[in-house]
Amino acid sequence: MSHIGGKILYGLVNETSNHLIERVFAPWPDMEDIMRKERIPLFSLESFRPLTDFDVVGFSLQYELSITNVLNMLDMAGIPVWSEDRDEKYPLVIAGGPVVFNPEPYADFFDAFLIGDGEEVLLEFLDCYDQNQDIPRQDLLIKLAQIEGVYVPSLYTVEYNADNTFRAIEPRYPEVPTRVKKRVIKSLDTAYYPDKPILPYMEIIHDRAVLEVMRGCQRGCRFCHAGIVYRPVRERSIDTLKRQARAQLENTGYEEISLASLSTLDYTGVNKLVKELVEEYGDKGIGVSLPSLRVDAFSIDLANEVQKVRKTTLTLAPEAGTQRLRDVINKNVTDEQLFRAVEAAFKSGWLSVKLYFMIGLPSETLEDLDGILELLQKVKAIGDNYARKPVEVRASLASFVPKAHTPFQWYAQDSSAEVEEKQHHMMKSRKKRIKVSFHDSQTSYLEGVMARGDRQLSKAIFRAWSKGCKFDGWSEYFRSDWWAEAMQESGIDPDFYTHRSRSYDEVFPWDFIDIGVNKDFLQRENEKALQVTTSPDCRVEGCSGCGICPNFEVDLDIRGAN
Amino acid sequence: MRLRAEYRIGPELKFLANLDMMNVIGRTLRRAAIPYALSEGFNPHIKLSLGTVLPVGLWGEKEYFDLELTMPVETASFIVAMNNAFPSAITIKNCIPIDNRTPSLMKVINSASYTFKLCSGGINLDSWREEFLSRKSLVVKSRGKKKDLDKDLRPGIFRIDVNNSQDFDIINMWVSSGETINVRYDELNDILMATGIDKQNIQDVYRSGNYIKHGAEFFSPLEQVN
Ligand code: SF4
Repeated sequence: MSHIGGKILYGLVNETSNHLIERVFAPWPDMEDIMRKERIPLFSLESFRPLTDFDVVGFSLQYELSITNVLNMLDMAGIPVWSEDRDEKYPLVIAGGPVVFNPEPYADFFDAFLIGDGEEVLLEFLDCYDQNQDIPRQDLLIKLAQIEGVYVPSLYTVEYNADNTFRAIEPRYPEVPTRVKKRVIKSLDTAYYPDKPILPYMEIIHDRAVLEVMRGCQRGCRFCHAGIVYRPVRERSIDTLKRQARAQLENTGYEEISLASLSTLDYTGVNKLVKELVEEYGDKGIGVSLPSLRVDAFSIDLANEVQKVRKTTLTLAPEAGTQRLRDVINKNVTDEQLFRAVEAAFKSGWLSVKLYFMIGLPSETLEDLDGILELLQKVKAIGDNYARKPVEVRASLASFVPKAHTPFQWYAQDSSAEVEEKQHHMMKSRKKRIKVSFHDSQTSYLEGVMARGDRQLSKAIFRAWSKGCKFDGWSEYFRSDWWAEAMQESGIDPDFYTHRSRSYDEVFPWDFIDIGVNKDFLQRENEKALQVTTSPDCRVEGCSGCGICPNFEVDLDIRGAN
Repeated sequence: MRLRAEYRIGPELKFLANLDMMNVIGRTLRRAAIPYALSEGFNPHIKLSLGTVLPVGLWGEKEYFDLELTMPVETASFIVAMNNAFPSAITIKNCIPIDNRTPSLMKVINSASYTFKLCSGGINLDSWREEFLSRKSLVVKSRGKKKDLDKDLRPGIFRIDVNNSQDFDIINMWVSSGETINVRYDELNDILMATGIDKQNIQDVYRSGNYIKHGAEFFSPLEQVN
């Protein structure tokens, strides 16, 4: 319900086209039990019609591990999960979202993937479907595959080398493109954005008006998937955003406006926009919120501006514990900046801070892990010095998962055992009154398998789901033992995908997805990481040659400052 | 300026919890651009207060809220503006200005009526009613905070009306709410089962009113404002 992409596509289709789109979500397992017992097929929320009544069923894949839920939903709807088992009488099953920049692990379940900015391609896709409803499915798929940004996996053959690495992917028909180019909106400022989102009665996550101030991020953190695949940065103008805020507030009556993007504090108009929104709506009790803060004092000042209200927990993401490692990952934050940020925060009344880190980053040593603990202690000392009460310092440690299309795509991921050893080391040396929590190492491991996986994984996914795996992102449902069995029975060695470093000349299953950023650039960035050299933000210090702008004939679209 | 409004919340929204209802009203006030007053402090909220909580699962024929405004507003235009902005299942039926000294709804509402709609052709309701009211005590396991204690509902049941129509039967029960004895609707439900009403026959339950009871008389919170 909260996902902005879903709201955009919903409004776009229903308000601006002749097509109709309805919503369906994965029911929680207790509801599923009842529906299966009563033989109620999965249905849409608006018209209560079963999914088989629709022409197209689309999934937004936000997280690798949601794939078992996709299979489960199809099955609840009575739709065969394998694309080859679906003929003309079934809907087309498609997917989009960040996960599909490496669609191969899921290729056998979907008829098509829509790659890149969904609002740029979805209507074209639906129109093409509409105009070709009567032709055989195969011919329809060939037509759809010719739309830029659409990948129809069944129209390609895939070859592997003797050592199981990926060799090539070839289209089976001349009309079908060899490379699939992602779709990009050139101007976010003029792109569709819903003024009248659905207003739920019950509380949802992010229950507020949301403005997407920009898309993309060019800080260039080397571990970050979104930072590469959503290039280039495109901003909305302050005027557009204020108009959208007004419309959404008038239509919903929301009590809060949130400024969303990958890195909102980098939006060039953030200061002015926040000030003007607070000025306009503050006295009506409507607040402004920033979903993420940058690690610097400016961020804290701005946060103070908007959070005249409650000072709950301040969250910051230094990601690594030492300057050296932060330089490796190109997280351009210094200890100094971090200390100044927390000092400013504690001075202005915050009493609790949560810091996000990753463990298992390339070149990491025990020194870097100890660095995290030292950093936490210093933050705690600063807090106790400046705040009026003892402060609470918490750290959340995720395991680093190398992702496709990033400068770290060549690295081996830590095994679960290695991660657990590191966790153990940190728990041992942890100081009192600093809370440290870890992400589940098994979940991250499986996420790693999918993130750089290929088509051979589909057997294992199917088996895992058949054993009962679903809601894998929820620790109370995640069954690593079933997944391990499923992999083994499918003849798959998961370590092949995670725990193996790759050479620069290896062809990757996702290379044919053209995200605009050149593989050379990723390699160069990785080389710089090895030399502990940082790269600047191309908005600030000029083009660093990632390739998207010339390749896709797009440009940075910076509008907030005017 | 203060207003007191009487509204109906229909069966479509019977699963809204109290906090959700507060949100719906708050958002509607903003959409309707009503000059609501805000509380002071770090986390200002609309000065809006509801009467006794409508249990989740029940809809309400006559529910109430009090609202404080920063400037005078015609009650008639308030009703129109709000009803245009409310979802169709909620309608303000009546509204009056009240004094700053008028005690809050929570303080004065001390009774409520619940209506049970039954399939017709069950037991004879007139004799059921007679038998029911003749009992000296009606003990149930308490459902609220003091869970599972024995609780005698009888002193909190003031009046029962029954009505047979061709298609369905109606039982209307006036009961005590609030401080002294709080008769919960789920406890009423239990007592109906225990006295011979078949659970399967209950088609619908709703709260038909909230009252200020003085002696034997029931006043609406719009009638008794001081
Ligand atoms: S091509 Fe240059 S300017 Fe464009 S996003 Fe890449 S680095 Fe930045």
